[in-house]
Amino acid sequence: MSAREVLRMDGHLVDSLLLAKVLDAIVAAGASYRILELDLGTTNLDQSHVRLEVEAAGEVALERLLESLHVHGLNREDSADAALEPADADGVLPDGFYATTNFVTAVRLGGHWLRAANPEMDCAIVVDTTTDPVSARTVPMHRVRRGDMVVVGWNGVRVEPPERPRARPDTESSADGGGHESFGFMTSDVSSEKPKALVVARVAASLEAARSRRDQTGAGGAGLGSRVLVVAGPAVVHTGAAADLAWLVREGFVSVLFAGNGFATHDIEAAVLGTSLGVSVDAGAPQEHGHANHLRVINSLRRLGSIRAAVEAGWLTSGVLYECIRAGVPVVLGGSVRDDGPLPDVITDTVRAADAMREQVAGVSVALMLASTLHAIATGNLLPAGVETYCVDINQAVVTKLADRGSHQAFGIVTDVGLFVRELAVALGRRGH
Amino acid sequence: MAPGRPTANGPGWGRSYLVSPPDYFTVAYEINPYMHLQVIPDHELAMEEHQTMVSLLRRAGASVERLEPVDGLPDLVFTANAGLVDRAGGASRFIPSRFRHPERQAETPYDIAWFSARGFDIDHLPPEEPFEGAGDALPFEPEGASSPVLLCGYRTRSSITAHRALSDLLGLPVRSLELVDDRYYHLDLVFCPLDGRRAIVAPQGLDRYGCRVIEELVPEPIWLEDDEAASFSANAVVVGTTVLIPSCSPRLGRLLERAGLEVVPCPVGEFQKAGGGVRCLTLALDMELAGSRRPLYDTSGTSQLSSEQGCVPPR
Repeated sequence: MSAREVLRMDGHLVDSLLLAKVLDAIVAAGASYRILELDLGTTNLDQSHVRLEVEAAGEVALERLLESLHVHGLNREDSADAALEPADADGVLPDGFYATTNFVTAVRLGGHWLRAANPEMDCAIVVDTTTDPVSARTVPMHRVRRGDMVVVGWNGVRVEPPERPRARPDTESSADGGGHESFGFMTSDVSSEKPKALVVARVAASLEAARSRRDQTGAGGAGLGSRVLVVAGPAVVHTGAAADLAWLVREGFVSVLFAGNGFATHDIEAAVLGTSLGVSVDAGAPQEHGHANHLRVINSLRRLGSIRAAVEAGWLTSGVLYECIRAGVPVVLGGSVRDDGPLPDVITDTVRAADAMREQVAGVSVALMLASTLHAIATGNLLPAGVETYCVDINQAVVTKLADRGSHQAFGIVTDVGLFVRELAVALGRRGH
Repeated sequence: MAPGRPTANGPGWGRSYLVSPPDYFTVAYEINPYMHLQVIPDHELAMEEHQTMVSLLRRAGASVERLEPVDGLPDLVFTANAGLVDRAGGASRFIPSRFRHPERQAETPYDIAWFSARGFDIDHLPPEEPFEGAGDALPFEPEGASSPVLLCGYRTRSSITAHRALSDLLGLPVRSLELVDDRYYHLDLVFCPLDGRRAIVAPQGLDRYGCRVIEELVPEPIWLEDDEAASFSANAVVVGTTVLIPSCSPRLGRLLERAGLEVVPCPVGEFQKAGGGVRCLTLALDMELAGSRRPLYDTSGTSQLSSEQGCVPPR
C-alpha cells in the first residue's frame, strides 16, 4: 500500500535550484510527486512557496524520504490532530461524527498519522488511547459504546484511495508482482460487451493467485489478504451452476460464503430432490407439486436442527453447502422478511447477520458476487475499497446499484450466472461435464 | 570608489575585521573532521601565526579590532562564526549565530556583548534553527547589480530554515547551497568572493546543483583542485586587491595574479588543526547587506534580468 503526504517548502527555491534538487531526489528515491501549488513571488526578494504531494511505495519508504528531504527545508504541511468526542450513549455517535468511506483512512493523533483498522463505509472511527500504541478502528453505529472516543469533523482525517495500477506499457514488469494488474485491466466498468472469455480468464487467474497465496501462508487457509469471498443468489442454483460452485469450494477456491435463505434452500433442494423451485435442474421440466419441494426441504432441515447436522446424518450428501461444511468454509446466511421457513442456520436478526458477515470480511482480497442483489449490496457495504470485487448478474441494474452505493471498485460482468460459473470452473481445471 | 560596492578591485567590503587572539586556543573537543584530541596545536606557534596574520591584514590596508579571548572558549578565535555584521545604509547591525554544537554556544554572549558595547543593534534569528554566521553566509554582488546575493551553506552546521529567516531579516535574496562533504563544513571553506566577477570555489564541497548556482551567479569562478581545496585555499580573506591565503599552489597563484590580485601567503597551520583558516579567524565588520534597496528585478515587469524563473535546473 503506497503512502502519501503533503509537504511545503519556502525560500529562494528556484535560483538556489532547491526545487529541482528535491524533485530530483523524490524521483531518485522511486517516489513520485504532484505539485499542488507553486508561487514564485514577483520580485527577486520574494521567497517562493511550493506545496506538493509525495507518494512513496510505503510508510517506511515515505518516512525515509521525508527525513532526507527535511534537511532541504521540505516539511510536512502543518495539520491539526483529529478532534475526538466521547459517545454519549451505547449505539449513538456524537453529533458531527466523521462518516467513513470504504477507503483506507488515517487519523492524525499527537502529530502522527494512524490508520484505522478494518475500513468500512458509513461507519465512525473510534480511537482507543488505552492501547500502546494508540489505535483506531472503524466501528458501525450500533457497536459504539458510551464513552468511546469518536472522531468528529474533518480535521486530521485523511483518506487514502487504493493504489492505481501503476504499470505502464514500458514498465509492465514492475516489482509489483503483477497482483494488481488484472484488476487494472478491468478499469471498474459495467460491461456486457467485454469479451467474456477474457473476463473469465482474469477472474480465474485472481482466484488461482489467491489460492496459491493462501497455500504459501499456511495450512490455516486464512492468510491475510488471500481469502476469496463468494456471495451467491438463488439464480446460481436455478441456472444449474450449483455443481460448478460446489466444485470450486471443493477445490479450495472459496474461503467464505455469504448467502440468504433462498440460495441455501434451493441448493439443498437441488441436492436432495434434484429440483430448484420445483423445476428439475437437469431436465428443466416442472415436477408435479414441485412448488412445495423447497418447503419440504426447509421442514426436514428444521427437524434435523442445522445444515451441519443434515450433513452429519447423511441426509445431505452434495451441493455447495455440503462442500462448505466438508471443507470447513464458513457460511453466513442472512435472513429477510420474505423468507420461507427459514432454515435454522439463517440469522434473522439483520444487525446480527451483518455483524457475522463483518467478522468474515477480514483478509478477503477477492469478492465474487453471483446473481445476488441484496446480499451483494450488503457485502459491498462491508468491504474495503481495495478488495477486488466482481459482480456477475444478468441485470445491469444490480451492478450499477452496487456502484451507486459506494462500491466503486466493483467490476460488473453482465451475463448469465450459470454460464459464467461453468466457464470459470472450466478455466480453473474442471473437467467431465 | 564608493564604499561597499564591489569593483574590479575587490568585493567592496573587507577593510575592517574583528579577531580574537589565541591565548586560550586549543583542541578541547572534536566537532569537525580536522579536530583530534591527540593533535594539540602548538600554543607559541599559534600565537605567532595569529600575530603575523594581523600584521598582514594591516599591511594590506585593513583595520583590525580585538575581541578579548576567554578561558575555556578555545574556538572564540574563529570570529567568522560569531555572527553576521551589516552596515548597510549607515546602520550597525549584528545578527548573532546560533551554534549547532553546545561546545561553541557559550561564545555567543561574549560576541553579543562586544557588539552591544559598540552600539550595534542586535537582531536575533528565530531560536531552534542553527546558523553559524559569516562562516556560512557570504555575499556576492555581480558587477553592475544593485544589491548582493547572500550565498548560504546548509546541512552540516547551519539549517536551511535559518536562511529564510535571514532573507526576511535582511531583505536579500539568498542562494542556499548544500554542503555535501563534512570536510567542508562551512561555506567559507568552499567559497571566497574576490570581486564583482570572480570567486574562489571548491566544487568538492558542493553538489551539482550548488556548482550550477555558482556558475549562474559568478561570471568567472576560479575552481579549486582537490589538494587546493583540502589545504583551505578557499578560506582566504580579500583586502582590496590583496588575497591573504592559508596555502596557495603555483597554479592557483597564477590564476589569482592573472585576475589582478596580489597573493600573500598567510600560513595558519596550527588553526587548521581545529578546522579553520584565515577567513575563519576574521569577521568582516564592513559588509553592506540590507537596506532599502530596490529589488534587483521584478518578474511582474517586462524586460528584466534573469529571474527566479530564469534558471533551468540541471538534469
